[in-house]
Amino acid sequence: MASQPASQPGSKTAGLIVGLILIIVLSLLTNYLSNHPSVHKALEFPLWAAAFGLLANVILTATGTRQFIMPAVKTEFFLKIGLVLLGCSVNITQIGVVGAKGIVQALIMVTCVFLFTWWLGGVFKLDDKMRAVMATAISICGVSAAIAAAGSVLAGKEELTYVTALVIFTALPLMVIMPYLAKAMALPVQVAGGWFGGNIDTTAAVVGAGTIHSEAAMKVASIVKMSQNALIGVVAFILAIYFATVVEKKNGRAGERPSARVIWDRFPKFVIGFVLASALVSLASSYGWTWLGKSVLASINNMRQWLFTLAFVCIGLEISFAEFKRLGFAPTVVYIIATIFNTLLALGVAYLVFGGILFPAG
Amino acid sequence: MKITEDWWTVIVGFALIVLAVIGLNVPWKIFSY
Repeated sequence: MASQPASQPGSKTAGLIVGLILIIVLSLLTNYLSNHPSVHKALEFPLWAAAFGLLANVILTATGTRQFIMPAVKTEFFLKIGLVLLGCSVNITQIGVVGAKGIVQALIMVTCVFLFTWWLGGVFKLDDKMRAVMATAISICGVSAAIAAAGSVLAGKEELTYVTALVIFTALPLMVIMPYLAKAMALPVQVAGGWFGGNIDTTAAVVGAGTIHSEAAMKVASIVKMSQNALIGVVAFILAIYFATVVEKKNGRAGERPSARVIWDRFPKFVIGFVLASALVSLASSYGWTWLGKSVLASINNMRQWLFTLAFVCIGLEISFAEFKRLGFAPTVVYIIATIFNTLLALGVAYLVFGGILFPAG
Repeated sequence: MKITEDWWTVIVGFALIVLAVIGLNVPWKIFSY
């Protein structure tokens, strides 16, 4: 994303420290306002956090200092630690039940959305590599999926930068609008969670949308999204095979044979942490281990909110207005149409999977 | 084996759980929703 010259290691460390201080201060401000009696009902805390991040972003961009603090803007890092901690609030049985449904939903969604975006990219005459990176980003999990796909199809920095900018730009509006739409349509909590998890590209915005809706929807949305994230290695592997054996051959080049190891290499390890944390707390509950009792779990819950707040502040900070101006017309149109398709399909599939039609509800 | 950023999220997550278990979690208590 960097459009400025690479910074020196010393200034990178300084940027990291200053950026972290800024993100922590904005998180404290978010917490203060979210709990303030006169304003706490006005907005949910993910919205306060993203709004403060966005405001700081505008000021930093205007003063030319945004790039300096970017080393501290680690949305996914903060969020994934928070998701490991979320494992402590979710029973392992719930992960099994919701996760199994989530995998069914993910298989339907990833296949349909990937193929639709790939086809639409062809209609708009996008390059094959751009089509692959964009289709993976929309169908799986945004930025990290785009990076995995770019690695598999040897896409250049330009394709990746384009798609990353589009992912980040669409995530915030979806995070804000979808919970309110779900409430307006009176969707059951599980369906709402399934919808957020199946549609929104970035995991941070999925958790944000779920949090704005309700704690229960946030848990379902997170599990569904993690089920989808778990497929990233498989898609990266299939893409690598397809490009090596079909696309590169068509272009008269011999592609390198990909290794199945990519499935494990790309597997999101925080999902393992989430499941382990849940298993630990479920065992503690079964055996009555007091060292992992209610007060400890309440503290872990607080830490999780802390980390989520840091991630939501970063969502506002990571939007690059300079990148937005550089986006091409065709990729943007394909991305928007594919996102609308994804939103509608995810709603239907969430109803099928979580609404008691294909499987028992609950 | 190189510890990737993804693994670090697991390590830091469990380190925070340990902190909560041993009670060294005072800074977090100021944060509540």
